[in-house]
Amino acid sequence: MQPLGSRNRIALLGLSVGLVLADSSVVTLALPKILVQFDVEVSTLAWALISFNLALALAAVPAAALARRRPVGVFGVSTVVFAAASLACAFSPTFGVLVGLRAVQGVAGAAVVVAALDLLSEATGADASAARIWALAGIVGASVGPAIGGILTQLFGWESIFVLQAPVALVGLLALRGVQARPVPEPAERPQIAANAALLLVSGALVAALFLLVILLINGWRLAPLAAGLVVTIMPLAAIAATRLARGISPLWTRAASGAILISGGLAALAWLPHAGVVWTILPQIAIGAGLGLALSALTQRALAGRSGQAVHGGWTIAARHAGIVLGLLLLTPIFTSDLNRNEHEALAAGTAAVLDSRISPLDKIGVARDVLVAVDRATAEGRIPDVRAVVDHRDDSAYADLGNALQDQLDRAVTNAFSRSFLVSALLSLLALIPIVLGRKEVGI
Amino acid sequence: MRAIGYSTAAVLVLVGLYLALGGASYAPAKVADPCAPRSWRSPQGFEAVAEQIVLSALDGAACQLHVSREDMVLALANPDSRQQFVREHNISNAELESLVHTGLTRSIDDAQNAGALNATLAGILRGVVGNLPIDELLNLLQRLRGL
Repeated sequence: MQPLGSRNRIALLGLSVGLVLADSSVVTLALPKILVQFDVEVSTLAWALISFNLALALAAVPAAALARRRPVGVFGVSTVVFAAASLACAFSPTFGVLVGLRAVQGVAGAAVVVAALDLLSEATGADASAARIWALAGIVGASVGPAIGGILTQLFGWESIFVLQAPVALVGLLALRGVQARPVPEPAERPQIAANAALLLVSGALVAALFLLVILLINGWRLAPLAAGLVVTIMPLAAIAATRLARGISPLWTRAASGAILISGGLAALAWLPHAGVVWTILPQIAIGAGLGLALSALTQRALAGRSGQAVHGGWTIAARHAGIVLGLLLLTPIFTSDLNRNEHEALAAGTAAVLDSRISPLDKIGVARDVLVAVDRATAEGRIPDVRAVVDHRDDSAYADLGNALQDQLDRAVTNAFSRSFLVSALLSLLALIPIVLGRKEVGI
Repeated sequence: MRAIGYSTAAVLVLVGLYLALGGASYAPAKVADPCAPRSWRSPQGFEAVAEQIVLSALDGAACQLHVSREDMVLALANPDSRQQFVREHNISNAELESLVHTGLTRSIDDAQNAGALNATLAGILRGVVGNLPIDELLNLLQRLRGL
């Protein structure tokens, strides 16, 4: 068998890293379908994401310790396990089994990612280049995850996400062709605490951008998964552009701080959207994407810079990032579900007021109010937002058209506002990341 | 340090713009206080008079229960929502009916005093309101639309 060229090896390893890290967000757009299929509560549904990220966070450092001794073996075995678990996820008979298999994916995925870092160092011949490529693959993977998941869900169903992952993961095994075994390296230094703490907080903040924004687009504003997937592609594009521009920004801590500020501002703008509609999310998404590109690349470079045993320190960054995602999910899910329930009541009251104050025939108001309530109850039972305009706006009468618009406006306001507090809490998490970034600015002298 | 300055400026402009465009107040409209006095609007036609009587009655009942008029409408929408409402507010069905009936009778008096109803029609309405349960009253109002 011909040994693989280093460029191809690097591309394949980058693909493997991107694929695994995309998995933390790839099922986001499939969640509404999974919710209906397995008939679970929203708070329970979050475990489809939490189990993967928690397992990844817990397994990353032990897997890295193993991977730096046997990177080839660890990468090979974990890739096969990851592919098998992915395929099994597609055929999960119950939600519990799906959660369990997602955890298996997380453990195997952690080993794939940290072993890939070690193999990238071999392929590039330089730890710094390896760290840059590894970080970029992770950023792209995590940020394109929702878009790819949405497109696959709409075209082929949520199961197709996992079915497709398996062969793509196995393609990564080609990176092992002709890899030479290395001697066992010296013990790793202690982890870079400040950079990892900042990574944890920034990743927690990104939960809102990568998960909640998608839910707002699909479940709140009733966009098709494919359309929502395309909308959130803005973030990875901005992240890639920012990563390319970022090299000119030094020292590293200023790049990380700029990123955290941009993420925080983008999330605050999402919390204070002046109107429902995709167009209002574009600027905040650009800010978040650019911030993501700057902060994650800088913090990962800081965490890995000048450290021996790069795979272990890569493991720490993966642990920090995915612990941050778990923190974000655990923190935001109760806030979001509570605000959704509160706003459901406020929307009903505001909608009722719109009916009572409308120009339609007074005696029609009771019937219309009842029709709307029936539509709301039916939609709630099906886990979706009702199309209130369609309920009312079926008569050739401008008063009914106005009422339909007024009801839709109240619904849009309620849905959009239900996400507000969660986005603000996320913005705060990103701002908190400035503390370790500033405190740790002298830890690495670059 | 310049990168931090540029990022901060960009973020301040973005967030400032969204706040200036009303981002902080983009929420469902607040419903009116049912205890606040509402003016009688000299309605034209029976439908409009009936509407004001019903709304005024709901305001009165809602004020006594410290809820909104809209909450009252939602509570009366169907038997399930009414049961949930009486449980949440620790009152009986009979008390709820009584509050609405009292409110309706008082609204009919107000309408008569304002000259929107003549004495004969007001008397008939008092009789209907006093003898029909709320569900049947609501059904009657809907049937009137078909006439």
